[in-house]
Amino acid sequence: MDFELLASSFLMGLMLGGLYAAVAVGLSLIFGIIRVINFAHGAFLMVAMYASFWLWYFFGIDPYISTIPVAVLFFYFGYYVQKWLIRPIFIREKALVIEPLGVLLLTAGLDLVLSNLALLFFKSDPRAVVSPAASATIDLGFVDLNIPRFVVFILSFAIAGALYWLLNYTEKGIAIRSVGQNREAAALCGVNVYGIYNFTFGIGTAALALAGGAMVPFFYVTPSMGLSLGIKSFIVVVLGGLGSVPGALIGGLILGVVESVTAQFVMSTSSVIFSFLLFIVVLFTRPKGIMGVLET
Amino acid sequence: MEKKENGKMPRKKIPLGGWAAGAVLALFLIVPLFIHNPYLLHIFVLVFLFAYLGTAWSLVAMAGQLSLGHAALMGIGGYVSTLMFMEWGVTPWLGMIVGGIFCGIIGVIIGYPTFRLRGPYFALTTIAFAEILRIYVENTEEGPLAIPLRGGMGLLVPLKGDAPGVFQFSTKEPYYYIALLMMLAAVGLSFFINRWRMGYYLAAIRSDQDAAEALAINSTKYKLIAMAISCVLTALGGTFYAQYFRYINPERAMGLSMSIEIALVGVVGGWQTVLGPTIGSILLSPSGELVRAYLGGTYAGLHLFLYGLLIMVVVLFMPNGLNDPLVRLFKRWDAGLRGPSGGPKDAFPPDPGRASPLPGRRES
Repeated sequence: MDFELLASSFLMGLMLGGLYAAVAVGLSLIFGIIRVINFAHGAFLMVAMYASFWLWYFFGIDPYISTIPVAVLFFYFGYYVQKWLIRPIFIREKALVIEPLGVLLLTAGLDLVLSNLALLFFKSDPRAVVSPAASATIDLGFVDLNIPRFVVFILSFAIAGALYWLLNYTEKGIAIRSVGQNREAAALCGVNVYGIYNFTFGIGTAALALAGGAMVPFFYVTPSMGLSLGIKSFIVVVLGGLGSVPGALIGGLILGVVESVTAQFVMSTSSVIFSFLLFIVVLFTRPKGIMGVLET
Repeated sequence: MEKKENGKMPRKKIPLGGWAAGAVLALFLIVPLFIHNPYLLHIFVLVFLFAYLGTAWSLVAMAGQLSLGHAALMGIGGYVSTLMFMEWGVTPWLGMIVGGIFCGIIGVIIGYPTFRLRGPYFALTTIAFAEILRIYVENTEEGPLAIPLRGGMGLLVPLKGDAPGVFQFSTKEPYYYIALLMMLAAVGLSFFINRWRMGYYLAAIRSDQDAAEALAINSTKYKLIAMAISCVLTALGGTFYAQYFRYINPERAMGLSMSIEIALVGVVGGWQTVLGPTIGSILLSPSGELVRAYLGGTYAGLHLFLYGLLIMVVVLFMPNGLNDPLVRLFKRWDAGLRGPSGGPKDAFPPDPGRASPLPGRRES
């Protein structure tokens, strides 16, 4: 195994990890504050990517531009999913439940609905934006770096940084964190808990849509793609620590590097096994994750 | 086969719900005498198989844990018995048991790290396990130890004709009765687990794990036992699946849609109840099969779309599934038949032994 190959696979892994992180950050935020697992996370990504794709296909809008209105749209999408679908379950089970399993089932149902609607309407053909920018590369000497992938890598840091700033340096963010720490105490202090939940879900979904738009130029979108990326995001989020935004970033990078480097030694399809092994090892040794903030 | 919800009633009186369940069972027993259409029998077999799988699934749900990866265990069970049959000629009747034991061990391995943790770890782990197993098997022609997994092609069970010794029959009727027997065994096991101390432990754990542990219930241990039983049963179902369809492939038998279908019958019928998964399967399996058979060709994904919609509707509007309204209905009729002595209050006796429908929910 020569060094150059290893270095390039490491770099590719970082790029892939940036993608995983960009996708998982929103999930981690939603889990950290609302304490529910949004099973439909991958399906949301799929829908956002289709939205970017169709905007490009019919109107010729570049995904890098359309991703911003799509993200705004997805903020409201997430907002109302939380408000109309998930909040009723919270109200019903509002006793001392921290993580209602009903929500997991509900979002699993939503995942099926969205991905099969996409299958019914768009068929299973993989689609991607074909543009000269999509194949642009920078020559780093030992490897050609694909620019769209690098954009997603940078974007993952930008999204995580923006969320970190929002959570730590704004009044809204303080309210969000207070709800995440103790729902009842926050409510007693006059925080509108369900309003914060809606907002948080919206923000998490918007961050996801932003990542989705940047992925369209190089990542084929199919109706069933949501599931595998959704599962990867679960792994990332557990790896980094459920609820930790920087954790999701680090977890994503680790997962990407592990997958990419192990793919040099075994068949690439078998490298997913390593991500699962990593997941199991983390569960055994450090269940709260690398940057874990939750007591377990 | 009476409903466990009536456990508080005097022993001698068989409630109306019990009679109804008995009547349905009797009907199931004689169906093959006058229905010979293989397709109709096939639908009945599916009803029993999914009732069986759903009941096995609900054993874990009774511990307050949601598994969305049970298809993996089913797939492993089917693969183990089929591979042993193909490679060494071991009869699937024996392979079934080996697969069951194997899956029981896998269940404990999945459960051990995750049951100690609060939160959605178990659900996530089961999903991740199932998906990664499916991806692995789909892409592996030859597994470790030169096991011919055959990738996404799946395994064809070698045909031996009408050979009961190797779990193959040329007609549907034997499969019908085997599936019925498996379903009855699973429901019976679930019924007795609910009557035994363990059932009360599981109910306590899912309603309030802290309180249960304060009463010295080892929650991890009982969750693990429930998981192991559930996995063994699911693996046996996998062998039945492989032998019945004579074909098993990772996409179907280990895929998420199978996991969802297994969970769905439980959710719709009433997860965490004994008869819920059976009720769910009686309702869902025929409709799912018909939608798939008649519309699946033109509208791929339609039945999964409907399943997803159904899950959402049930979770939002009927969190206890169909079991509870049915039980209430039968109790009302029961009270009506036994004369007007009891008021409407008596028709709905509070069930202290009945656990809350969703884990963690507290009855006020």
